[in-house]
Amino acid sequence: MADYAPVDLTAEGQVEFELNGRRVSAPAGTMLVDAAYALGVEVPIFCYEPRLGAPIGACRMCLVEIEGMRGLQTACSTPVQPDMVVRTNSDIAKDGQDGVLEFLLENHPLDCPVCDKGGECPLQDRTFRFGPGRTRFVEAKRHFPKPLDLSSVIALDRERCISCYRCVRFSQDVAEDKALVMQERGAAAEIATLTGDQYEGRFTGNVIDICPVGALTSIPYRFTARPWDVTNTPSICGHDATGTNVELTLREGHVARVTARPEPNYAVEEGWLSDLSRFAYEGNRAPDRLTAPLIRDDGRVKEASLDDAVDAAALVLGRGGRVGILVGPTATVEEGFLAQELARTALGGARIQRLGIPGAGLDAIRSQPRAELGDIDGAGLVVIVGGDPPNQQSIVELRVRKARRRGAAVITVGPRPHALEPVGTAVRSEPGRLAAAIAALDLPEAASTIVLWDEADLAAEPDAAGALARIVGDRGASQIELGADVNGAGLRALGLGAGDVLEAAAAGEIDTLLTIHADPLDGPGAADWGWALGRVRARIAIAAYASAVTDASTVVIPAATHYETDGVYVSMTGRAQRLRPGATAPAGAAPGWELLIALAHRLGAPPPYRSAARAFAAAAAARPALAGLDYDVIGVLGAPVAAVTPVSPNGVNGPREAAGTGLPLVTTTRIFGNAAAHRSEALASVRTGAELVLNPAEGERLGIADGARARLRSPHGECILAVRLAADHPAGAAFATTGVPGAGVERLLPADRGPVNVEIEAP
Amino acid sequence: MPIRNVVYRQREAGQVLTDLSDYRRAGGYEALRTALTEMDRDETVYAFVRSGLRGRGGAGFPMGRKASFIPKDSVLPAYVVCNADESEPGTFKDRELMETNPFQLLEGITLAGYAIGAVRGYIYIRGEYEHQARILDAAIAQARTAGFLGQGVAGSGFDFDITLYRGAGAYICGEETALLESLEGKRGQPRLKPPFPAVAGLYASPTLINNVETLSALPAIIEHGADWYASMGTEKSTGTKLFSISGHVMKPGNYEIVLHDTTLRELVYDIAGGFRPGREFAAAWVGGSSVNVLGPESLDTPLDYESMAEAGSSLGSAGCIVMDDSGSIVRATLRLAQFYRHESCGKCTPCREGTLWLERILQRIVDGEGRMEDLELIESLAGRMVGRVLCALADTGVLPVTSAVRRFRDDFVHAIENGGVPRPEPMMEVPVGG
Amino acid sequence: MNAAAISAHIEPIRHEYAEGRSLILPALKYAQTEKGHLTREDIEAVAEATGFSAAYVESVASFYDRLYLQPTGQRVVSVCVTLSCMLRGSDELMERICDRAGVSHHGGTSEDGMITVQEAQCLGYCDHAPAVQVDAEQTRGPLTLDDADALVDELRTSPRPDELWR
Ligand SMILES: Cc1cc2nc3c(=O)[nH]c(=O)nc-3n(C[C@H](O)[C@H](O)[C@H](O)COP(=O)(O)O)c2cc1C
Ligand code: SF4
Ligand code: FES
Repeated sequence: MADYAPVDLTAEGQVEFELNGRRVSAPAGTMLVDAAYALGVEVPIFCYEPRLGAPIGACRMCLVEIEGMRGLQTACSTPVQPDMVVRTNSDIAKDGQDGVLEFLLENHPLDCPVCDKGGECPLQDRTFRFGPGRTRFVEAKRHFPKPLDLSSVIALDRERCISCYRCVRFSQDVAEDKALVMQERGAAAEIATLTGDQYEGRFTGNVIDICPVGALTSIPYRFTARPWDVTNTPSICGHDATGTNVELTLREGHVARVTARPEPNYAVEEGWLSDLSRFAYEGNRAPDRLTAPLIRDDGRVKEASLDDAVDAAALVLGRGGRVGILVGPTATVEEGFLAQELARTALGGARIQRLGIPGAGLDAIRSQPRAELGDIDGAGLVVIVGGDPPNQQSIVELRVRKARRRGAAVITVGPRPHALEPVGTAVRSEPGRLAAAIAALDLPEAASTIVLWDEADLAAEPDAAGALARIVGDRGASQIELGADVNGAGLRALGLGAGDVLEAAAAGEIDTLLTIHADPLDGPGAADWGWALGRVRARIAIAAYASAVTDASTVVIPAATHYETDGVYVSMTGRAQRLRPGATAPAGAAPGWELLIALAHRLGAPPPYRSAARAFAAAAAARPALAGLDYDVIGVLGAPVAAVTPVSPNGVNGPREAAGTGLPLVTTTRIFGNAAAHRSEALASVRTGAELVLNPAEGERLGIADGARARLRSPHGECILAVRLAADHPAGAAFATTGVPGAGVERLLPADRGPVNVEIEAP
Repeated sequence: MPIRNVVYRQREAGQVLTDLSDYRRAGGYEALRTALTEMDRDETVYAFVRSGLRGRGGAGFPMGRKASFIPKDSVLPAYVVCNADESEPGTFKDRELMETNPFQLLEGITLAGYAIGAVRGYIYIRGEYEHQARILDAAIAQARTAGFLGQGVAGSGFDFDITLYRGAGAYICGEETALLESLEGKRGQPRLKPPFPAVAGLYASPTLINNVETLSALPAIIEHGADWYASMGTEKSTGTKLFSISGHVMKPGNYEIVLHDTTLRELVYDIAGGFRPGREFAAAWVGGSSVNVLGPESLDTPLDYESMAEAGSSLGSAGCIVMDDSGSIVRATLRLAQFYRHESCGKCTPCREGTLWLERILQRIVDGEGRMEDLELIESLAGRMVGRVLCALADTGVLPVTSAVRRFRDDFVHAIENGGVPRPEPMMEVPVGG
Repeated sequence: MNAAAISAHIEPIRHEYAEGRSLILPALKYAQTEKGHLTREDIEAVAEATGFSAAYVESVASFYDRLYLQPTGQRVVSVCVTLSCMLRGSDELMERICDRAGVSHHGGTSEDGMITVQEAQCLGYCDHAPAVQVDAEQTRGPLTLDDADALVDELRTSPRPDELWR
């Protein structure tokens, strides 16, 4: 993993010293291990992991000789000093490293051939390079009963553990879930949870990545592959809008594992993944995955070849009716652009929209100076407005916790309780009254302020976006959008709006609808969409998973998922990053961009490119927001798209009143409650369903008990949910979980996700 | 006999001083009054420096120097922490102080607190000393009632209080940074140094940590003057020192002697009564067990810091364990190796694994499965521990092992060649004298 | 012990510490006085009273020899086996106590649940070697083998103390 901290050898304030006889320099304060690594000298380490906080000097692997100091010193905890004379390869230093390895191996089972870490194990690797020529230990090794399941996804083999404390420090000091600990003392010490408990949290899988031996391994990955029969590909997590960088491990065409990249993207995820990012890949082969094209003819469904399906789609689209194109939130920039091109050329006059939040008024805040997730660490004040980042843009939680540990003040404002509220000062806003809460904020002075704001919550209250934009502007702060959609920012950069097709369809002005990674009948405004789509005569779907839309489409063309395609996603902070195909799409499916190019060919308007890279270049040439970008510029770590043109924060007035009667509805989300989590077997034991949460006082008023079921009715639709009464949720609102497959809370919402009230009654 | 009861004021007074009035009658709290009314803080620190008093917990660092390291301009409050973990094998001198003379310790802590401008003192007492803890609890309550602790100590403008903190069974918590971790509610595992506690100790605040005996010596230094104190002993080993002596001697116990004035032989034979008839001196671990073991050739070494170092060992905590020729050095060494294995906190690799390995080898030798190369292996493993570990537990914990293998090599060779070491007759049912 | 009882014990001393974490050890020690060892409920109660995670509290407890996460007998006899006591016969004493209590020579809890015998490292009673400690309250020594028998017999029949400080 990250192991060594990045060092800027050109920074100001360099300290000169001697390293293995060479005169070198590194910035003051740099730890010797990091400086040496940057200077081409690898000092072996185990416990050191700069992302976990200050070094603890426990493993003693990094022993080096420093002239004038007694014994050997740990290079991981020794900052460079002017004129220090350091030897990492003298006999005595090497004896130090060799000695520590000998001690570490004393009780290690040396079962590399059957260990999942074999071939990519720092202990194995360092033993080869720095290690003991022989073992002199003749006693019986420490023995534990065989591996323990730390959770449903993490196995612990205590015999292999070298007590480096990395996993414990991650749990205690990074995720702050406080669940993983060291128990007992001395040679009997072992990694554990509270006796009898599982290790549960939003970020648990990271301990697998940082464990330098095979003590913590992934249960879903266990025994599936050896390092030499896999390939690793850097890509992007396609399960939230953060643009988390991942590495896909591929075996026989499938994603066998998702890990953090060996070189993290410090501006984005810093090498930490949520368990959703890490374990959702299993859903790539879920039963609802579309693997064969379908053509429906007079109620009969028949499987077809890809070519035939594309032909059939072209036939339907080319019939001459009025066409609408709906681009879903996981479509890549290329797919969105090719869809636009289709609408512009082959299907001249077709209407096109993205499926997402319209966001009138959000440009006021979006046009304020943007920050990266990596900037949160260094902020003096972090303000979180609306949303629930731990559940929606999970990796943000770790950044905010880190900022708090470094002394930042944290203020949260919003209608729903969430896990970052206890980290700072929590201001609870009344549903639909964020603007008032923002106006009443008394923010402390701070050298630098970062405001994080929730796209959905602020879109529902344009006046709140304006009020927040003014605060950001006045303070010289920067802002980060907590985006709702995976590639919402990418599709917006293409200029795709979010209302046209719905309006036209509702008005009976669409005859044929092409959906691309879009399932409007399962999302917000499902009821409105259902009514509008009822007026459309023919539907064509390009999609990876079955949905209500694909069930009702004349032609269904299976598409590759984000694990299987080239493409660009733009993160919520405006960072364009590349997806790289890890797995191969099922035989009956193809990447969306290929399908769209094929469709354009069939429709007689062939675009002049045949690759995703060229398609992207064309998009970049045509759309100012993408100007200057191409796959090379984006590279491994991504590049920013152009900022939103400044918009005055003034001129938005008054709250938007909610439709309907009853209690204001506050939507909530659960990290393991969405379709991706529900598809993955690995997450089976942590996934959650939908519920209606009420303050006990509301429960009493409505005569609904904890655990009962209730019917919720809004002007848009209704659904039935299990009820939980919870005192930490304020009275005066109904909290219902969205995103859960089949639960139907989306039916209560308008398509633009504006405010609604719900009537609640026993069913 | 060269006994000089300065710190053991209770012995001088001929009674336990667990009642404040008794302590005051024995001259108690005069030193604090003197400091508070006649000396400023710097003068108080300077008196400690001039006294030459060295830390009595084991490392022997000059107390006054350590006090002078406490930064004056810190925005955080300063603390005094009294190390009452007394878990070094063979060491029980602090126990007697807390049991029979608790106010002197409180007075010493208060003096140190005044000198460094601390707001509170903590006494970290080992969990096994529950009886002593209750005596200290009662003493603290009495001192508070009498105005020697709390707002405006003894009518001065100095606010200071003392909290007693009970450990729960872990030798490593005597190591100063592990102690601080434990006092902060964590597992007692040593911290990386630097920063040193004087700069960032308890709750990251400037912290002065001293042993019970060190702090208990402060009232006498203030009362009779630093020069008086420094006039005892040698230039580098001033004052009196409490020795705990135990093992095969006839009169085990605590004895206070002036440093350098007494030799090991005098301590063992004259003060501690020598051995059972027919038995002779075989070995001694003079500074607790974390030191090089000495043989009969060292008997005439004067008991002070420099002479002990010259003899190839150290004064340590002055917990002197003595073995006569009925004992087995090989078994004794194994027993100490077991101690360090049991007490290793497990944080750093060479200590966690090395102490385990050494114990295993010695066990084999005792069991008759030793090999000649084990002796070199012990030496080599120890060499890979010393100077490479996080704290002094293993740094000094290997000393009794390596020194025994060197000094008493014949005994080890004999054990290896003759199928191990049978359990010797223990000294049992012999009345304890003293 | 429940969280309320633990809070009642630690809240009056909270002001003595700059950080509340310092209360974990006093809370654990106090919680243990009820049953003589710490159950999962005790750990959770300490967690609740101090505001730290139960896993963390348990990990702290497991570090210390004198906090017991497994059931113990009504009285705990700790036999010092470190060097000074060993030289004066602690191994024989340990074996005798174990025999009398009916447990293996490594120690353990007697069948009637009255006595736990364990080895201890230096108790700081070397001047009374060989020494034993009963709970953390009384340290006795030097003990002869006959004393050992008498001690076990005495503990078998002695009433349970109100509070068990170990
Ligand atoms: C493993 C270990 C155990 C120690 N145990 C004790 C102890 O029980 N009592 C003590 O006063 N010092 C002990 N020390 C020494 C302390 O770390 C520290 O040096 C001492 O408390 C400083 O006080 P002093 O300068 O007054 O001696 C121990 C050191 C180590 C490495
Ligand atoms: S399980 Fe792995 S990460 Fe955790 S302490 Fe052991 S070796 Fe280190
Ligand atoms: S890497 Fe330096 S001590 Fe572990």
